[in-house]
Amino acid sequence: MGEVILEMKQIDKSFPGVHALDHVDFNVRRGEVHALMGENGAGKSTLMKVLTGIYKKDSGSIIYEGKETEFHNAKEAQDAGVIIVHQELNMVGDLTVAQNIFLGREPRKGLGIDDKKMIKDSRELFDHLKIEIDPMEKMSDLTVGKQQMCEIAKAISHDAKVIIFDEPSAALTEKEIEDLFIIIRDLKKRQLGIVYISHRMDEIKQITDRVTVMRDGTYIGTLMTKESTKDEIINMMVGRIIYEDPKQQSACPPDAPIVLKVENLNAGKMVKNVSFELRKGEILGFSGLMGAGRTETARALFGADPKQSGTIYINGEKVDIKSPQDAVKYGIGYLSEDRKRYGVVVGRSVAENTTMACLDNYLKGFLINKRAEKNVSDEYIKRLATKTPNSEELVMNLSGGNQQKVVIAKWLARDCDILIFDEPTRGIDVGAKNEIYKLMNQLVSEGKSIIMISSEMTEILRMSDRIVVMCEGEIKGEIDISEATSENIMDKATRNIS
Amino acid sequence: MGKLKQNPIIKQLGFNRIILFLVMLFIYLIFCVLIPNFLGLSHVMSMLNYVCFLGFLALGVTFVIATGGIDFSIGPVMFCCALISGYTLNQHGVPMAAALVICILVGTLFGGFNGYMVAYWDVPPFIISMASMNIAKGLASVYTKTTTVSWPQSADPGGWFRNFLKVGNVPVGLIIFLIAAVVCSVILNNTKPGRYILGLGSNREAVRLSGVNTKKWEMIAYIICGTLAGIAAIFFAAAYSTVQPGYGDQYNNEAIAACVMGGTSMIGGLASIGGTVIGTLIIALIQEGILAMKLTKDVQLIITAIIVIAAVYIDVSARRRKN
Repeated sequence: MGEVILEMKQIDKSFPGVHALDHVDFNVRRGEVHALMGENGAGKSTLMKVLTGIYKKDSGSIIYEGKETEFHNAKEAQDAGVIIVHQELNMVGDLTVAQNIFLGREPRKGLGIDDKKMIKDSRELFDHLKIEIDPMEKMSDLTVGKQQMCEIAKAISHDAKVIIFDEPSAALTEKEIEDLFIIIRDLKKRQLGIVYISHRMDEIKQITDRVTVMRDGTYIGTLMTKESTKDEIINMMVGRIIYEDPKQQSACPPDAPIVLKVENLNAGKMVKNVSFELRKGEILGFSGLMGAGRTETARALFGADPKQSGTIYINGEKVDIKSPQDAVKYGIGYLSEDRKRYGVVVGRSVAENTTMACLDNYLKGFLINKRAEKNVSDEYIKRLATKTPNSEELVMNLSGGNQQKVVIAKWLARDCDILIFDEPTRGIDVGAKNEIYKLMNQLVSEGKSIIMISSEMTEILRMSDRIVVMCEGEIKGEIDISEATSENIMDKATRNIS
Repeated sequence: MGKLKQNPIIKQLGFNRIILFLVMLFIYLIFCVLIPNFLGLSHVMSMLNYVCFLGFLALGVTFVIATGGIDFSIGPVMFCCALISGYTLNQHGVPMAAALVICILVGTLFGGFNGYMVAYWDVPPFIISMASMNIAKGLASVYTKTTTVSWPQSADPGGWFRNFLKVGNVPVGLIIFLIAAVVCSVILNNTKPGRYILGLGSNREAVRLSGVNTKKWEMIAYIICGTLAGIAAIFFAAAYSTVQPGYGDQYNNEAIAACVMGGTSMIGGLASIGGTVIGTLIIALIQEGILAMKLTKDVQLIITAIIVIAAVYIDVSARRRKN
């Protein structure tokens, strides 16, 4: 490991209502791979976005190659040699590999582009990295792994000095990960500084030299990878103190009837042989890291996305759910994690949104009974304490928490017995959060059953009666709340994949 | 101004609709000043001929635009309806009542075809309606062997259908159109199809995930549009008697212009039948004024195009300000 090439000191950044980064320190040396770890929402991505100028820091300093620097946008950072390889690839599928690598800085020849030079330079670049890719191939014909290699090659062709890998392995196969590591080791040898963001403990052990852990926007500590254990890192990630009191034991009697049973559900790449049961009056927590396949499971169950196989029983009866229409017919309601896109119709009123799933109950002949609609809407506004001037207000004028309440009202008005809450409190302030928790507890006490998908450990431990942990599209374990700790959940969520 | 907008009466009528209505009066005044004898019944009556068929087209396309789609086939479809039913009437001697039913049915079928393609096959509305436009033109030409079709005069047998347009100096057509507009407004604002059409125009996925069959309701919007184009054809035939194959394109733009001018958003999810009615009146007024000024139809085309651009620009920039 060489000298420090990049140092971030006391970086502070707030968004309205959230202290995203609280005086965070971080540095990278030449020729090292430095892991940046933490739970979802710990501030890793925010920190990297501050570094590359996508966000502006509130205070603190960035020292790059011995000089205090501030990049104003990703282009400036890139020109200076600080480059992010994103989790989602930023490639144009219909262009060739070479065209992608030189996108926006094509070598010129007269008025046109010097294709020959571009292809020759790409080939040299790949030879240099010992990657076998034909520069003339179309980007969309390559595997995701190869596309990522191209992204790395592109980064290096920018004369990178620091490369940040943001969860690079999420979409890669074992073999591709090995290839990736060969390249990373090679880059390390060439004295580049590398930041490696990943949730996979085994990779961290294999490839990194140091590990820095963040939690809730604060810097927790930095360890030498060789001298640390997996448990030590997990402890740092989840913290010992859970500030919101977790549930001690299940509030759902063990002999409560099973209302929903899912057997061997398979859908797309992200849902593999998922089986679970949900009892009446139970909150079943779905824990796991981002991309573990929880939302995909919920969507497949709800009929929003097609499924390949699997059987679903509701109250012991086998049902065929092909579309959301079927799911709603069987009394399932789904509150999406992305409520603006999949939850509310923001351009229409609160009342219209409330009766969206049960309009048939408010018809009088051909006409909509607007008075009855207004009454039910007002009733839920009152019951859920939704802050809106009246039921005629457009949903777009409501805050996030209140929009979420409108979605909840929609499913309650439909009288659904099984509710899927996907990240129910994402982007919602603390006060509204507590109200939604209270409401969920009230709903289950009334005999409804809830599946709660959450990436927040405190939320999982506070609300669930039972916890299912998913990783890589599979269910890795089931834990009763009385035995659950953030450590044993995180252990299952990050379990080594072999 | 802001206070004025909050006034309950103005809110009920719609602030933008009132402005648009004033704009219409203003245009009328200008024409009255510029053109001698413009003020008077004869111009108004001739304008109403135009209002009736264009109005039905515009009402129909309002439903489609409310879903976030577009239909460029309505003009030629209207011609196709009038040609097929008129030819059948003249050549095969079917009763007038049957011809009128055929006329409307042809429109319904085109609407159903467009809607099915858009909703179930995911063909972009732009593409499918362009294709339908050519199908409508081609089909009408083939069926009539490219001959002009003349509908019966008032005194001829079957000429009673002209009573739909006017009886003496009573503008029956306008009354029917206004009743149809009220019905459309009720459908759009107070019934299940209207609710889902506006909802899916605003956020299709959210409506689908509420357990609504969005494909079905989207298709229904196109069926309403096609059926109204069939009805428009009857009023066109009643007003102008002869129908020639191969035309009708310009009425697409005029109907869409009337609709967008009236406050229906091209992005979908927001529609105003009242606005469409006023929009139709403005387009008809401009066409009448231009003819009275002895300018050619081409000038009208340019003016309609400018109106569309201006209306869409106002809609888009209002949204941008909101965000």
